[in-house]
Amino acid sequence: MTLHTLKAMFDPATRVDHAIQAAHAFQPALNAMVSFIDPQDQLEALTHIDPSAPFYGIPVALKDLVNMKDTRTTGSSKILDNYISPYDATITRKLREAGAIIIGKASCDTFGMGGTNKTAATGPVHNPYDLSRMSGGSSGGSAALVAAGVVPMAIGTDTGDSIRKPAAFTGIVGLKPTYGRISRYGVIPYASSLDHVGCFTRNVTDAAATLKVLAGRDDKDMTSSTLPVEDYPALLKGDLKGKRIGILTNVIDSISNPTVRTQFEALVEQLSAQGALVTRVTLNDALMKALLPTYYIIANAEATANHANLDSLRFGVQVPGADNEETMRLSRTAGFGPLLRKRFVIGSYALFVENQERLFRKAQRVRRLVVEDLKAALSQLDVIIAPASGGVAPLLEGGPKTDELSGEYLIAENYMVMGNFSGYPSITIPMGFENGLPLGINLTAKAFDDANLLDIAYGIETLTGLKNLVAKVNA
Amino acid sequence: MTYETIIGIEIHCELKTRSKMFSGAPVTYGAAPNTAVNEIDLGHPGVLPSLNKTAVEKALQACMALNLTIDPLVRFDRKNYFYADLPKGFQITQQFYPIGKDGWLDIETDQGSRRIRINRLHMEEDTAKQYHLEDASWIDFNRAGVPLVEIVSEADLRSAQEAMAYVDKLRNILVYLDVTDGKMEEGSLRCDINISLRPEGTSTFGTKTEIKNINSISNIEKAVASEIARQTALLEAGEAVEQATRRYDDVAKTTVMMRKKEGSVDYKYFPEPNIPPIRLPQAWIESIRSKLPELPDARHARYKGLGLSDYDAGQLIQNKAISDFFDQLLPLVKSVKLAANWCLGDILANLSQDQLTHRTYALCLSELAAMINALADQTISSKQAKEIFGHLVEGKGYAETVKALNIVQVSDTSVLAALVEEVLNENPQSIVDYHAGKDRALGFLVGQLMKKSKGQANPALSSELLKAQLATRKPQ
Amino acid sequence: MDKHSPQYFKHLALQLRFELSDAEAQDIANEFGVLIDQLQLLEAIDTEQVEPMVYPFDEPTSFLREDEPNQVLTPQEALKNAPAQLNGFFVTKKVVV
Ligand SMILES: [Mg+2]
Ligand SMILES: [Zn+2]
Repeated sequence: MTLHTLKAMFDPATRVDHAIQAAHAFQPALNAMVSFIDPQDQLEALTHIDPSAPFYGIPVALKDLVNMKDTRTTGSSKILDNYISPYDATITRKLREAGAIIIGKASCDTFGMGGTNKTAATGPVHNPYDLSRMSGGSSGGSAALVAAGVVPMAIGTDTGDSIRKPAAFTGIVGLKPTYGRISRYGVIPYASSLDHVGCFTRNVTDAAATLKVLAGRDDKDMTSSTLPVEDYPALLKGDLKGKRIGILTNVIDSISNPTVRTQFEALVEQLSAQGALVTRVTLNDALMKALLPTYYIIANAEATANHANLDSLRFGVQVPGADNEETMRLSRTAGFGPLLRKRFVIGSYALFVENQERLFRKAQRVRRLVVEDLKAALSQLDVIIAPASGGVAPLLEGGPKTDELSGEYLIAENYMVMGNFSGYPSITIPMGFENGLPLGINLTAKAFDDANLLDIAYGIETLTGLKNLVAKVNA
Repeated sequence: MTYETIIGIEIHCELKTRSKMFSGAPVTYGAAPNTAVNEIDLGHPGVLPSLNKTAVEKALQACMALNLTIDPLVRFDRKNYFYADLPKGFQITQQFYPIGKDGWLDIETDQGSRRIRINRLHMEEDTAKQYHLEDASWIDFNRAGVPLVEIVSEADLRSAQEAMAYVDKLRNILVYLDVTDGKMEEGSLRCDINISLRPEGTSTFGTKTEIKNINSISNIEKAVASEIARQTALLEAGEAVEQATRRYDDVAKTTVMMRKKEGSVDYKYFPEPNIPPIRLPQAWIESIRSKLPELPDARHARYKGLGLSDYDAGQLIQNKAISDFFDQLLPLVKSVKLAANWCLGDILANLSQDQLTHRTYALCLSELAAMINALADQTISSKQAKEIFGHLVEGKGYAETVKALNIVQVSDTSVLAALVEEVLNENPQSIVDYHAGKDRALGFLVGQLMKKSKGQANPALSSELLKAQLATRKPQ
Repeated sequence: MDKHSPQYFKHLALQLRFELSDAEAQDIANEFGVLIDQLQLLEAIDTEQVEPMVYPFDEPTSFLREDEPNQVLTPQEALKNAPAQLNGFFVTKKVVV
């Protein structure tokens, strides 16, 4: 259901009530929500908002990293289990001003640090299409809520591919706009130079409408852009004729799943038939294979410092010790899961003076090479496209063990971090299904070319007809 | 053996801004605990820094006054460590690209002027204030995030006197710039002093200790002198100096150990990803430079040009508030010297530093100037002036005070001539002394005349008349 | 201490103010093997003359915030999440100085 039709059908209270009831009904099956928010105050505040506001009375969900004053924000961690935000994130304020009713905080990997949503303190989120499978991570809860039709839009964050991968696994649209397009103020970070705020919707038009609301300069985020915000929904034309589309061969070549390859190539045929200028681009393979370790080092190094504030002395769950040092130690040991502690150790290791040049600085240099390579490829193109994943959502338990040094893993499952390295806008939309499970396609454009990216995604969406999909949840 | 002392000083100085370095919370002193904080100062999840323009402006002014080379591309880094007073678990500082580097400051020493090199000046944020009680520690985050500059000297200082002179001069410059209030006792200016000794004539550095928490300029000299003595005694006895952080105990008059320094801590510095490099416009930098206020050295030279002694000029510039007061008085007075004397004397004695700084005194400058001018004209005596001043500081006018005190200047020559006659007749020995060349005789006679007139005689005129009469009474 | 031994990582964790169980430390030591292999992919890339990329975009900005106090939490809001508080202060275990 689009923002538009939803607004036409019910009054705000009914819309919100439906959403909350659905979220509760699906909670045992999906486990997508961490905290519910009583919407009453927000509904009452609608009297001060123009009914034509884009989200007027529309129920939405925030990833559990987004602060909203006087609500619980845990980051899906244990250490912030009792944390009540004393302030609004900038996007929370913008959504409220646009009339949105925030009904809850959606589950994620703890502090966005994961790709499975299995590290959430409240446990894994289940894929609405197959409860034995993951919805992806780290924004798994947000994706599941949108895919199941609970809310038409949910906020996600994307540091590696944390919006675009879950969107692929749940058959919806996941937009990560250009770095700096949406303020990060008030959003619990993972890795500041890679973190992006974005959204999940069930069609490209809603993604464009959401971006228009969220985008814009925020003096509280010095990395946010001063470029004017465009009227993204109005700029959707969907004409693919003459659009220069590059197929990322490194990705397609590393995928073994024949269904994914076949569907992708069929789509490419259709694009050409529409008059799109399709070419094949190949990025430096050595750089592509180095994406994951590069990402791992930069992201975890920044994350280690970003979460040093979680010492339990001013907020958070405290385990008292004999002195402050012990209090911090006990609280952080109890409050962070094993995966988090592992990542912090590795991130810290990369920052030591004796290692920093060899690891952290090296990774930052490789990052530049990757971005230069991508930039050069995009200089002749509007977008590059590739399947968002080598296959459907993996099983939560008992899936095949991944070979972490294989090309398929290193490239096909991780190439989307290029969008984070570069800050370039990137979107995942549905491509098709395999055995009833969604597959996604990813598009990446040049910096601040968000409108063009959305327009091409809209054209492809029109071509495939895959929009407003709602999973039938076996609750 | 004689030893050479090697001293380097790091100064942390709180900048006089209205809001914090990276947050819009107010900067206060003495406010109720945790009433000047927002989520940024408390290091809450999701906060981001937003850099204060005035803090950068003040850092630039300090760089300019200290002859530092300015880096117009402002960049910040994270210094990572865990401590209860550090809310984010890292301090945002400028490790790799300080805003200023390679400057100097000339200090006056017994051997003349010495140039002390300054390695760097960088911007950073202050930590919270902890209060250590019997059974707990309390934390007030009002100070957390207050803008700081850290100024690091080269190890160019060689004595306790030089260390004191350096900090004193630096502090005074920063106060003149209005960059800081410079109050060491309130912690808005804090210095860490690194001291090591080495045998005279050698070039390798000895083990150094660091003295922290010195709360006054005068204690710098005491602390450094006592630490030099302590290290000298150790070396003389063939013992090693232990690398440690020490503090000066004001009561014991010696430095005491705070903690040992074991190796160097790895702060894992890395560029702050949330603050992109900021290019300061050259025009802005130049406009700040062009508006730089007069600094103590320039003011000292100006005062000497007005005829003040080196000493008086030095005394005046030492205290910016009194020097500013003096500058306001200058255009109104006939005698620069008298104005200086009054500023350094009765004004300082009667007005508090706070009144002077904030100009909250009742004293009216033009009335004070009227009094000083009367004194210069010798239409009043300095004794009368003191009495009048007592009323001026309460906000009274000069004319009304003179009237109220019934101070009548006897300038009528006929009245004075009679008194002169009387005085000379009563003091024949003084006449003899005067003509014998004893200078004090005239002063004595003037004094006698003033007494007879109950202080109301015009002293200048009286003196003239006395001299004239004395000339006619030259003994044969 | 052996570089990259479980003990080494336990020690490193303590600097970050948390503990690792024996199994976790062993796990990191094992995973470090994979990471080292992946790092070889990184090391194989020539980054001579390449500046580290710290931010997605290289263009310097010019924004500086005006020095206006504009936002303060009430003491209640500031202390709402405090594990311990008294007289408006955050309270911690006594720090020995
Ligand atoms: Mg220092
Ligand atoms: Zn410092």
